[in-house]
Amino acid sequence: MRIFVFLTRRMIFAALLMLGVSAAIFFLVNSIGNPIELMMAETPGMTGEVIDRMKAYYGLDHPPMTRYLLWLSRIAQLDFGTSIVYNQPVGSLIVTWGWQTLKIQLPAILIALAIAILFGVTAARRQHSRSDFAVMATALLGQSLPAFFLGILLIFIFSYSLDWLPSYGAYSTRNPLWGSPTLDALWHMVLPVAMLTFFNTATLTLLMRSNMVDVLKSDFIAAMRASGIPERRVIYVHALRAAFIPMLTYLGLLIGLMLGTAPVTESVFTWPGLGYLYISAIHQLDYPVIMGASAVIAFMLICTTLLTDVIYVLIDPRISLE
Amino acid sequence: MSSLATAKPTAAMSIDDRSMLTPPVHDLVRVENLRIQFPPWNAPVRIIEDVSFQVRAGETMGIVGESGSGKTLSSLAILNLLPPPARITGGRIMFDGEDLAAKSQGEMQKLRGRRLAMVFQNPGYSLNPLMTVGAQLGEILKVHEKMPRSMALQRVEELFRLVGITDPGSRLSQYPHEMSGGMKQRVCIARALLCNPALVLADEPTTALDVTIQAQILDLFEDLKARFGMSMIFVTHDMGVVARIADRITVMYAGQVCETGDKHAIFARPSHPYTQALLASTPRIDRRYAIDGEGRRERLPTVGRAVAPGQSLGGGCRFAGRCPEAAPECSRLVPQAAAIEPGRVVHCLKRGSAGVASHD
Repeated sequence: MRIFVFLTRRMIFAALLMLGVSAAIFFLVNSIGNPIELMMAETPGMTGEVIDRMKAYYGLDHPPMTRYLLWLSRIAQLDFGTSIVYNQPVGSLIVTWGWQTLKIQLPAILIALAIAILFGVTAARRQHSRSDFAVMATALLGQSLPAFFLGILLIFIFSYSLDWLPSYGAYSTRNPLWGSPTLDALWHMVLPVAMLTFFNTATLTLLMRSNMVDVLKSDFIAAMRASGIPERRVIYVHALRAAFIPMLTYLGLLIGLMLGTAPVTESVFTWPGLGYLYISAIHQLDYPVIMGASAVIAFMLICTTLLTDVIYVLIDPRISLE
Repeated sequence: MSSLATAKPTAAMSIDDRSMLTPPVHDLVRVENLRIQFPPWNAPVRIIEDVSFQVRAGETMGIVGESGSGKTLSSLAILNLLPPPARITGGRIMFDGEDLAAKSQGEMQKLRGRRLAMVFQNPGYSLNPLMTVGAQLGEILKVHEKMPRSMALQRVEELFRLVGITDPGSRLSQYPHEMSGGMKQRVCIARALLCNPALVLADEPTTALDVTIQAQILDLFEDLKARFGMSMIFVTHDMGVVARIADRITVMYAGQVCETGDKHAIFARPSHPYTQALLASTPRIDRRYAIDGEGRRERLPTVGRAVAPGQSLGGGCRFAGRCPEAAPECSRLVPQAAAIEPGRVVHCLKRGSAGVASHD
């Protein structure tokens, strides 16, 4: 019962937040100027009458407040408008390109989490040892290395020098690898996923290690050891559970923002993902795409934050629903 | 509580006249020349130096000393659970005729919680905050006794009743944060007693509790000792607590033993200058330490100067720097055990100890 009260309250709050974010998105994009004038005014032979007709075609002849309410009522019905550049519904663009981003982001987060748990726990158990130092140094390198540099390095080694893996795209345009489109798609995913995994692993391992170091110093772990609980159980069941709780916030952010956090990777590997679409939309002032993608990313973040809070309540008995 | 007059006479009052040179067979625990060091290993920090004491079956040994005297490390060493990078670099810990210091972690794990158990200082931190107390105590029984869940919970409930937890059945499904500090410490004591251990190590189990709860927990320890007949090592810095709970006392200073002996003998006739200073600095209820009506004042005596910093854990008697009776050779020669009374040993050159030049 209390969980429903809690959820209702949080969902009302999330809806209000979404409203505020949508206003911010709309009026910020609107403040750039009228896109028709920006794009068309310099074109030779363009008359005022044509510009007016184009404004009317895209619905830009109304005052901003009216257009905002119109946009809001449309996105409430999942209609994000039409892309100026692609001349396609923005909603289907987001689904198509967003799916490609999820395809590389989700495996990258899951693989990174597994590696981070393994390395973070190992490093924490042997704090200040050589293996701890090696893990920390690699993770710090991963955090400080510019993203594009690693991408180019991967392409140079695995595509250019060894010629093992494709350097761009999500699939082969002509002959799919081994005649199978599925294997071909997986083959194309390897490098982008590797790059994203590397950066995710770096941060997650550092977090995992420091949480684990703290937990392993706590009295209840000493007490469990003093009670004769097998070391493996102490570490991988009890300590890991306690050390994992603070990671949830970061994981929530990682998953919530994943549609928008891979533009560099997608650019380096010419991957047809949402980040890539987003960046090119900004270059081309494709404002329905900018606004639609921003709204979807904000919506996902708000949802995962809400979900994270619910998970916290479920796994940590010290956090109540108040 | 701190007054000796209230302490009940115990069996250990009748001191038999054994010499420390021929250790009796019924000692449950014999710590012999225990040495614990921290790196760097080419010039190790000697945290514990040649510490020896015995705990007889069924008795409570109180280990007293100020912070940093190595009381807690000594008890963790008995469980072979020293925090890394600390290491046992010498000596033996004989328990039931076996050297615990030489055992593997796997062998120790079978003893911990079953034959040896520990109660920690802060009950607020020594229970897993994410598990119900029933589940975490039940797990110990599952590990050691291979008990099924329902049976384990029954046993836990039974022990909860023994340690004075009200409504023990419904407490099983509570989390530690739903309990008071005193209640949590009762849970920790129940956890230590689950498998009926031969030795319970209690590391300042009353320090984190307020005074009324302290008294209740001490009562409980006395009651349980009478019921279970286990031996106990009770580590504390509180002379009042040790006067009440211990049969015999080991006084430690900076990783060395000052003296060991029967509680009543030590309180009545402290021999080592440190013990003397420590007892003199215990406030007495029949004295006034502030300015009285006539403007006279009496200062509470203190142990002179400050604790020696870790780096000076070097040769000689470590108390020498603060000792009112120190002679030049005190900071050079390590005082060996000297039997001054039956069952009583002191480490002090001024009390007849032989001096041995430091190892380095």
